[in-house]
Amino acid sequence: MDFLEHQRKLFARPGSGLGDRRPRLEDDRLLTGAGRYVADVSLPGAVSVAFLRSQLAHARVRGIDTEAARALDGVIGVFTAEDLEGVSPVPDFPDPGLARPVGAFPLGRDRVRYVGAPLAAVVAVDRYIAEDAVELIYPDLEPLPTVASMDAALEPDAPVLYDGWPDNLVVDVPADGDSDDAFQRLRTVSGSYRMQRQGAAPMECRGTIANYEDDRLTVWTSTQFPHIARTMLHYVLGIPERDIRVVAPDVGGGFGQKSQVYAEDYVVAWLARHLKRPVRWIEDRYENLVGSVQAREVRIDLEAAVHENGEIEAVRGRIFQDLGSAESFPNGFNPAFVAVGSLTGQYRIQRQHIHVTAVATNKTPAGAYRGFGIPEGCFAMERIVDRIARELDIDPLELRRRITIRPDEVPYTAPSGAEIDSGSHLASLDHVIERGKAALEAIRAEEHPPELRFGLGVATYVEGVAPTYFGTTGHWTAQDACDIRFDPDGGVTVAVGVSAYGQSLRTMVATVTALELGVPIDHVRVVMGDTDSAPYGLGSWGSRSTIVASGAIHRAAGELKDKAARIAAAMLEAAPEDIEFVDGRLHVAGTPDPSVSWGDVAERALIRTHLLPDDVEPGLEIRATYDPPGIEHVPREDGRMNACPTYTNASHAVIVRVDLGTGDVSLVRYIVAHDCGRVLNPNIVDGQIQGGVAQGIGGTLFEEFPYDDGGQPLATSFMDYLIPTSSEVPPMEIEHFESPAPGLPWGAKGAGEAGIIGPAPAIAAGVEDALAEFGIAEITATPITPRVVLEAVRAARGAAVTA
Amino acid sequence: MSATPRDVVPVRMVVNGSPVGGSAPARKLLVDFLREDLGLTGTHAGCEQGVCGACTVLIDGQPARSCITLAAQLDGNEVTTVEALSADGELTPMQEAFKQAHALQCGFCTPGFIMTLAGVDPNDYPDDTSIRELLSGNLCRCTGYEHIVAAVRAAWGRTTSQ
Repeated sequence: MDFLEHQRKLFARPGSGLGDRRPRLEDDRLLTGAGRYVADVSLPGAVSVAFLRSQLAHARVRGIDTEAARALDGVIGVFTAEDLEGVSPVPDFPDPGLARPVGAFPLGRDRVRYVGAPLAAVVAVDRYIAEDAVELIYPDLEPLPTVASMDAALEPDAPVLYDGWPDNLVVDVPADGDSDDAFQRLRTVSGSYRMQRQGAAPMECRGTIANYEDDRLTVWTSTQFPHIARTMLHYVLGIPERDIRVVAPDVGGGFGQKSQVYAEDYVVAWLARHLKRPVRWIEDRYENLVGSVQAREVRIDLEAAVHENGEIEAVRGRIFQDLGSAESFPNGFNPAFVAVGSLTGQYRIQRQHIHVTAVATNKTPAGAYRGFGIPEGCFAMERIVDRIARELDIDPLELRRRITIRPDEVPYTAPSGAEIDSGSHLASLDHVIERGKAALEAIRAEEHPPELRFGLGVATYVEGVAPTYFGTTGHWTAQDACDIRFDPDGGVTVAVGVSAYGQSLRTMVATVTALELGVPIDHVRVVMGDTDSAPYGLGSWGSRSTIVASGAIHRAAGELKDKAARIAAAMLEAAPEDIEFVDGRLHVAGTPDPSVSWGDVAERALIRTHLLPDDVEPGLEIRATYDPPGIEHVPREDGRMNACPTYTNASHAVIVRVDLGTGDVSLVRYIVAHDCGRVLNPNIVDGQIQGGVAQGIGGTLFEEFPYDDGGQPLATSFMDYLIPTSSEVPPMEIEHFESPAPGLPWGAKGAGEAGIIGPAPAIAAGVEDALAEFGIAEITATPITPRVVLEAVRAARGAAVTA
Repeated sequence: MSATPRDVVPVRMVVNGSPVGGSAPARKLLVDFLREDLGLTGTHAGCEQGVCGACTVLIDGQPARSCITLAAQLDGNEVTTVEALSADGELTPMQEAFKQAHALQCGFCTPGFIMTLAGVDPNDYPDDTSIRELLSGNLCRCTGYEHIVAAVRAAWGRTTSQ
């Protein structure tokens, strides 16, 4: 179905505000300290939890002595795995045969597999005393040999993390078919690319507060998906879903890390039911940096079969992902598949064959982080494009233009099966090349100290948005839902299954609802994040919220308007098909006067029902679901799969400054050409891009979770894990290209993850460009630290001397 | 003999203009005292190590980290939290500028930024570079800072980037 006409009407409506930079509905509360985050939920009589966490990376649990802790004044109880009566291991959900199940249990009971794994929970009158008591617990841990890296995990004689496993491979899926003929015929260019372990680090850590009263459990938790959290609590605690209410209050950032239900959530909920009193646990920063999921740690070995003009016919290779303990299942390894699915981006490549391998190590579990595999694949792809350009002596920017799909090739089927429905691939690339070249020229024309060099780097990508959940936590769906309900006073309440953590969803949902119904936005109240009042939805992740919420609201509004037209027609003595909706009022087409308001209609539908036409039922409310079109939920026989209804595209350019004396890389300017289809509010999309770029910069230059050979984490505070400050993030300029998604009612594509994908390959290319005078100073890994830069220069100079 | 960390000691300060007298364990952090004892939950704990700035309040008019300050350290000092700035229901010019520029997303770090800015003299930060240096003591994971810098510029009456 084609919605282009519907989109045109919506966006052309006078006074719609669409496309304008409008302030948000969220902000007054948040600016004045009136936000209500999970730590702000205050329940009378609440007690606090602190967790004892493993200080060993790999150990057998022989016993845990809790006696001294229990004896401490103010301690209510100390609980270990054996106390968790009725608790089941977290189910391992994907297709049988895809991955080895790990059967994670909320508290370590036979083995612990990473530093930070929870072993015991102390409940005390306050957190201070709970932490005192943690110090008095004596776990009897027998150290086991540690697997501290992906390479170590793959060694033939590596210690094995799970009993009964022959090795540490959680996932090992060979590529379907091959393209050997292309590699025999054509030039082969190859490379091996690595990204380091990094993570979301939201400013608000996680937290869960639970209460058991009126024979049911209420759980306030800092989550991206309250309904899925409810389903998982049901699976693990054995409580029917109807007896659990999950509330996501204001959430202080998620970035994927909170699209996961954690051990602590299960334990706190269990404790509330067990103790029959409110129980609270607020994660501290140390816990967040060792106990919440991390991401990105991959090696991608890639080969490209290349024509002499630079066109790539096929790519093949293997992705290795470090899953840590693998206890985030299957969010840990799904990014490896997404990296493969998105690998070729906007480039015209016919075939790909990538082997996916994911291994368990004695580190914090890998899980979701904004981008979810796309940044990893994009880094490898863009790096090999730069290598191809060098080997064939083609300008890398010209090569990108040459292999980018042209407008007449769209819709385009990528070799992964992704159906790229629309986009501005070449135009956005041209934009950043032009702006980037001009910026570089201007900067090089200025006077600089002799040790500084400047370079331009460009990267492009395509981001699948609103994807299927493909088996995660047992869901095979992309659906979401809304309820829209009128009150007799004409006010509207819209309850949605998407859930906010900073992305301005309240503003988005209110805007879409108001415009679909033709009511003033200040008559709309948005309800989200509460499983009691919102219909079942999948929450927010995968740049899905605007697509699925607007789709559901569009359907609901259509049905409500049909009903309202029948009621208004009776009031205006006209036919329902002649009723028009203008500025919150309903009148007969061509006759603005008389008219009735939505309030008049709602009043009649709800409290003056004796005046309704005989064939109209009372009530003015509706539930609608929406499953985005065109999605496949499992791969086809040939391994291909179109996981998304539409695809955002973007190109990034960065001006990099390299200090030859110190090796320091800093960024002078950042340019983004972004196409997420129809833009409802450019302020909000800009904010998503800017924030994503800043995180991408952090992951490229500063952020890393290193581990020593014994599996000890070396970045456990914000003094070691360096997220960018305002001084490291350069001024950004953003240009919006708008290629509407034809198959979606609002034509808007997702924008949540776009910013974070481009920085690593763009900055790497910029550093190489800045160092071009020294020969080939190739960057194949992140983070690009001063030492990496100085060694690249040294190596390039050495190579130049030898040559 | 000095108090042990768990001993309850007298606490005395003026919070948002009102005298607060009471007691708290000697080890209780100012951020916890404000949030738990006074119900002022606009001050947020983001790292508990003085790095991220989410817990910034004013102590005697100067920005300070309430997560590395003990409540008992204060001796009649004036503490100002974000709740005091808009007590009359109106946003301050800086808060309004944040709203107009979309300088906040999740909002968790925002009170800290607002309090840092409330405690400085704009003349000490004449250009964008110095504004960015000022703000570098407050971490934000959502915005990438671009809109925050724009908001500060607008609130301080600067029309273009410098």
